[in-house]
Amino acid sequence: MSGNVLLEVKDLRKDFGDHSVLQGISTQICQGEVVAIIGPSGCGKSTFLRSLNLLETPTGGSVIFEGKEITAPGTDVNKIRQKIGMVFQQFNLFANLTIEDNITLAPVKLGLMDKEQAQKRAKELLGRVGLPDKADAYPAMLSGGQKQRIAIARSLAMNPDVMLFDEPTSALDPEMVGEVLELMKELAADGMTMVVVTHEMGFAREVATRVMFIDEGVICEENTPQEFFEHPRNQRLQDFLSKVL
Amino acid sequence: MQNFINEFTLNFIEKNRYQYIIEGFVNTLIISLFAVLVGIVIGFLVAIIRSSHDKTGRMKAGNFICRIYLTVMRGTPTMIQLLIIYYVIFATVNIPKVFVAVVAFGLNSGAYVAEIVRSGIMSVDEGQFEAGRSLGLNYRQTMQFIVMPQAFKNVLPALGNEFIVLLKETSISGYIGLTDLTHGGDIIRGITFSAFMPLVAVALIYLLLVTGLSWCVNKLERRLRVNER
Ligand SMILES: Nc1ncnc2c1ncn2[C@@H]1O[C@H](COP(=O)(O)OP(=O)(O)OP(=O)(O)O)[C@@H](O)[C@H]1O
Ligand SMILES: [Mg+2]
Repeated sequence: MSGNVLLEVKDLRKDFGDHSVLQGISTQICQGEVVAIIGPSGCGKSTFLRSLNLLETPTGGSVIFEGKEITAPGTDVNKIRQKIGMVFQQFNLFANLTIEDNITLAPVKLGLMDKEQAQKRAKELLGRVGLPDKADAYPAMLSGGQKQRIAIARSLAMNPDVMLFDEPTSALDPEMVGEVLELMKELAADGMTMVVVTHEMGFAREVATRVMFIDEGVICEENTPQEFFEHPRNQRLQDFLSKVL
Repeated sequence: MQNFINEFTLNFIEKNRYQYIIEGFVNTLIISLFAVLVGIVIGFLVAIIRSSHDKTGRMKAGNFICRIYLTVMRGTPTMIQLLIIYYVIFATVNIPKVFVAVVAFGLNSGAYVAEIVRSGIMSVDEGQFEAGRSLGLNYRQTMQFIVMPQAFKNVLPALGNEFIVLLKETSISGYIGLTDLTHGGDIIRGITFSAFMPLVAVALIYLLLVTGLSWCVNKLERRLRVNER
């Protein structure tokens, strides 16, 4: 396994009322890894992902990011989140801001860059995601695929150490899925550490370094894509794969 | 025609009676303008306290006070509020009636503005808030730069409407002996015993004011809508 441990999850639990969604999840994510998370709808994939940057507050267990327990009381959550990028299924671009302002808002307001530096960086990133001419557009003027690529650029502007993706292509028209997956592939190739909840089995197989199957609140199986798809051991995983493949 | 001119002269020109209208017009403008400002400040404050409580569970005491304020202001007639503030709360102090009116109408309007703004905040998709927080922006920054601008845009028509209602509602100021536009017209009617001329003149001025206000709100609305296409 490559690099040092970036994220460590110990016995993570999350209840919503008396509905126990995560029932003790433990795993480690190392630098440079691309972890794909799959599982049936409602099994807690999003809840797990959102626990990693504390958009959900776990009810038990701990999350350790770069050696610091971020679930400990008194942690500066905002500081931690600057280093953990997140890309949402619904893009969530800031509707009131231009594309450039979407990208520069956080770095500037958080004092990481001055306005000029941020704009320069935004330009670079827009080039990187293949939308150099959209700086002055508003989100409502873009297609879904373009929005998601901008969302990725916005996340990259913070220079995150890890990026979380929650079904980044599930809200896209089929013809736009490719452009987003292609960009994510490039990120992976550049060494970005990624945790990706996805229904795209092709992506999991080709790009992920490890695939994780969550069901009924626990990790039922995690393995290299090869082993995971060719020789699934867990019965529920076998059933799941036979339905989706 | 001659009759009309005579009526006009009698009601407005003779003894400079038009001055009642001018005085009333100025007072109505002052009361409305400052009451709107008071209403906006109170309204946004209450809305932010209330929705922060909804979102984070903090500020329990603040939320409780806000709810009492909203219940009282929206549950009693504006006229009674004006009378109570004048004859009870400010009974022993000698302050200008215009100030009393600004306080009364501002407090009243604040309650409506608060609920309008709160509905605006709730109308902004939760994903906008989460995206802001996921980048490391804190609660205040996310509200200030992302949620509030969108909320404001969404409720601008409702706010414009509230200000029109407020402007018209100041016409009860005469009940505390204040010469607002309505009262000014009514004074003339009392002197000249002709109803048509002063009252219609007053109505036309209100209409003009409201039309102007609507025009401004529409213009602002269109400017804020640049990001929709
Ligand atoms: N805020 C919440 N309050 C109550 N229950 C919730 C909340 N968020 C999620 N749940 C429940 O937790 C369970 C797991 O939800 P989660 O969104 O993590 O599933 P998922 O695996 O991401 O599903 P999907 O594939 O549909 O996105 C679901 O049963 C859901 O109803
Ligand atoms: Mg989900």
